[in-house]
Amino acid sequence: MFLNITSVAGKFYGYIPFGDIVLYVTEFSAISFVIALFFTLVVYFTKPEKQLESQIGGFDRLNYVSLEELKIRRLMAILCGICTAFAMLTGDLFNYALFLAVIGIANIGIVSAVKKEWVLNAAYYYGIIAMISTLPLFGGAALILAKTGTLSILELAGKHQDLLFQKMLYAAGMVGETGVAPFYAAKAEMFRAPGAPYILMIHLSSLLIVIRTAEILLTI
Amino acid sequence: MDVVQHMFNYSVFAGFVVGILSLIAIGYQRSDIHLLILSDVVECAMLVIIAALGTDLAEALILPGLVVGLAEFLAVSEILIQRCKLRKKEKNKRVSKLFEEFLVVEEPKVEVDIEHPKMEILYSASRFISLILVIYGAFLTGFTGGAVMSVGLLFYLLSQGIVSRGISSEDIKDFWEAVAGFSGIMWALWIILGFIGFYLFPDHYVTFLLIAGGALALKVGSKLGLIGDLKF
Repeated sequence: MFLNITSVAGKFYGYIPFGDIVLYVTEFSAISFVIALFFTLVVYFTKPEKQLESQIGGFDRLNYVSLEELKIRRLMAILCGICTAFAMLTGDLFNYALFLAVIGIANIGIVSAVKKEWVLNAAYYYGIIAMISTLPLFGGAALILAKTGTLSILELAGKHQDLLFQKMLYAAGMVGETGVAPFYAAKAEMFRAPGAPYILMIHLSSLLIVIRTAEILLTI
Repeated sequence: MDVVQHMFNYSVFAGFVVGILSLIAIGYQRSDIHLLILSDVVECAMLVIIAALGTDLAEALILPGLVVGLAEFLAVSEILIQRCKLRKKEKNKRVSKLFEEFLVVEEPKVEVDIEHPKMEILYSASRFISLILVIYGAFLTGFTGGAVMSVGLLFYLLSQGIVSRGISSEDIKDFWEAVAGFSGIMWALWIILGFIGFYLFPDHYVTFLLIAGGALALKVGSKLGLIGDLKF
């Protein structure tokens, strides 16, 4: 079956050259870009939720986000949203890997201000996994570069090379970096921290990244 | 086939082996800080794999890879610090580990008093290392040579403090300023008088060549003179 960029990602609208950095817009990436930017705006404009924690044998407790905590977490969530949005558009495998790593850092940052031990514990283990998975992620990108001589997705879409092992490595790196299925345990604990829109950003970014990685791996 | 292509398979293999070995080490590790450091080793293995390409593009990729890795390292270590602070606050709440009663809690204490200043290696090794650094720096010349040499000197001075034969900070300051001042004057002679003279008065080039050469010799010579001044 002949797969090219138009058949997987919809209509190809064109590319935006910024020197070395080439962004390209397809139907798929335009929609994801708009979604990511929209949720970034939502994060910027909404106030954080308040959680009511019911206690056994005592008064219920109201968990709320203090102003100092809010500032750090909002900044990190907005950074995460911007990175997600541009990861949707980028046309370079290595840039994409870098965006992934920055999203991982921002995810840690979103929960780092929460003063709860179990949240910090979960963030710590997620961070360790994210650090370890830079090896397959960047290594996969480097091996693709070594085999084909280019990192541009547009270039790679035209050639048809056997990149199975490299793609597997790249996908494994993505899995660790976004914390999906086998590494989900740590991330699920992170979601339990109070403060809804910021925590939502962690979820949304990893969701969009997973879809986008699948699209990239099918395209190249 | 050039050397980069020849080494490509081996370097990628080495990168993966380092990564897998440190994963095994992470599996055995109990302490959190060691876990963090070992996962940084995995990132270094990632850099090895990128560096195996050996092209200009690979060089441009190493730097962002390194920066992102360091940023992740810093973020996770910040989390660790926050958690430690929280734990200190909640120390009265005792957290019991699984099978705690079967584990050794305290490290065994060494009762014998070890006298560190009496160790021979503290006297001989510091001199030897600083001597090698100073000689090597003198032969290197230039900024690198100066840096290597001053590292040697600083190492010697600091190690003298350890064996309680400390040199006062005033001495170090005077010495340092004298050498730096002399070196600076000679640099000015070499560049400003010597080289600019070449361009302004090309007819008298021999004079300016002699000035530049002499200043250069004195500048390097002042560095060489440091060796005699150390009084081993």
